[in-house]
Amino acid sequence: MKQITKEVLHDAANRLLFDMSDEELDTLMEEFKILTQQMETIGHIEGLESYAPMTFPFDCMVDYLREDVAEEPLPREEALKNAGSKMDNQIKLPKVVI
Amino acid sequence: MSYLDLTIAEIHRALLEKKVTPLELTKEALERAKANKENAFETICEKEALEFAATLTEPEEDNLLWGIPYVAKDNFSTKGIETTASSNILNGYVPLFDATVIKKLREKKAILIAKTTLDELAMGGSGTTGHKGITYNPYDPEHKHQIGGSSCGSAVCVAAGIVPFALGSDTGDSVRKPASYGGLVGMKPTWGRISRYGLFPFAPSLDHVAYFTRSAEDSAIVLQALAGRDEYDSTSSFKPVEDYSSKLGESLKGKRIAVIQEILDSISNKELLDAFRKSVEAMKAAGACVDYVHFPLDLLKSIYATYIVISSAEATSNNANLDGIKFGPFRGGKTYQEVMFNARTQGFSELIKRRFVIGSFALMSENQQELFIRAQRNRAKIVEATNNILKEYDAILAPASPKTAPVLGSSSSDKLSNEYLIADNFMAIGNFAGLPSVTVPLTFIDGLPIGVNFTSKAFDEAGLFSIIQAYEDITGLKGISTNVRKEAKL
Repeated sequence: MKQITKEVLHDAANRLLFDMSDEELDTLMEEFKILTQQMETIGHIEGLESYAPMTFPFDCMVDYLREDVAEEPLPREEALKNAGSKMDNQIKLPKVVI
Repeated sequence: MSYLDLTIAEIHRALLEKKVTPLELTKEALERAKANKENAFETICEKEALEFAATLTEPEEDNLLWGIPYVAKDNFSTKGIETTASSNILNGYVPLFDATVIKKLREKKAILIAKTTLDELAMGGSGTTGHKGITYNPYDPEHKHQIGGSSCGSAVCVAAGIVPFALGSDTGDSVRKPASYGGLVGMKPTWGRISRYGLFPFAPSLDHVAYFTRSAEDSAIVLQALAGRDEYDSTSSFKPVEDYSSKLGESLKGKRIAVIQEILDSISNKELLDAFRKSVEAMKAAGACVDYVHFPLDLLKSIYATYIVISSAEATSNNANLDGIKFGPFRGGKTYQEVMFNARTQGFSELIKRRFVIGSFALMSENQQELFIRAQRNRAKIVEATNNILKEYDAILAPASPKTAPVLGSSSSDKLSNEYLIADNFMAIGNFAGLPSVTVPLTFIDGLPIGVNFTSKAFDEAGLFSIIQAYEDITGLKGISTNVRKEAKL
């Protein structure tokens, strides 16, 4: 497992596209200390490796498509209603290719 | 006493007899909401509620929710009503559609009067981390105690008699724990029983729509309205919806109940243990077979870490769409990454950021086996141990919390103590296994309520309602609120 340092956690936060203060990272380090200790203990639970990872409580297989019911598309003004930056009926963002 | 202090079934009779109208009920619920001091509301939908209530003039005999006011946690999408999940990153967001449960309740002509506070994005169990600050326990007018979370505002509304039922969501124990601190019936049905379409996802393998009422009978009534397959939620169950009131009134005779000894052993509060044991004796006297059974201690102690790893990992990816571009406050920036960076840095509180980093770290390829996959394997083992008990028993019973509502600002419990790891966190088993699980009041200690939790087999909600209704007879605490005080019989 990757070694847990403040730098590693700060990098993880930045890759999630947010920043954390030094103080916040200190609290997080403490939390990780307890969590990794507990996860290590879990690793010693007898027979754990023979269990398949559980992703959902039950199988919930759906193998068909919904009925193709025609609906009115979302009006443009509705679709844009919640966006904070708009121009010419589009969401406006800084240029990607300059 | 107001009609709002009665149960849904009782209010329904009053509506049928035209002793009260939906408009009168709604006006009073709104007055109570506006007078409430516990910081329970994100938005009070006064105009919408009054307009809808005014249209309800002809009572529907077979529709028990006709004209009944209710509230919903602010993580359910409500068309045209701001929905923030108590997070600054969603300030100003107005959904364009209704969650399926909101739509179903509207079709039943129940009246949404408000959206309620929660721990930010439903992550947290204290009711203190939402963007509007602390939500308080209505049983303590001095505001020194938590109501618990994350469904804090909804719990307050039912406990304070503002409405007879409220929608919440439960990923670890977010309805069942505040139900314990608020003297309520807090029900989380089987995973897939209620559609989650329109509920903001936190950790979809653990998320459930859940709700508060003040009686077992009302809990059955609300599930009847909410349950069923939804084409818009591929995880909703195809299993036919049964009559959830069909077993109400059955005695406890022949019911087999398992009490996990290791959970009791982890609790230090003598008054709680005493009341709990008395209730067990009363259940036996009523004909139930109650056995003290064992659950591997190492598995019980591992629940919290397993939950944090799985839920944080799922939350990290599910909340990647909160970018401040399509919705939420736009914070600007020189590049689109900077736009997102600014929105997320300013929009999320510290707790949320910590959870996301934990989740992201657990999912990194070099850590996955030792964190995420290990937690998922352990989940399977915990679920197997739980289902093994339920092969021989109708329900598992335990105190829903090791103590009454915690004092605000008090130093948190020792995070490595058995009391914290086991008694404060065991209810996540119900989410791991997707089993129906419900909290119901047990007693009062120093003026604050505390409950017990029953968990039963998948899709056995009707059986569970019959057990908790019989339990209400034992405790004498059916229908309690801050307006309707009763002494526990135990």
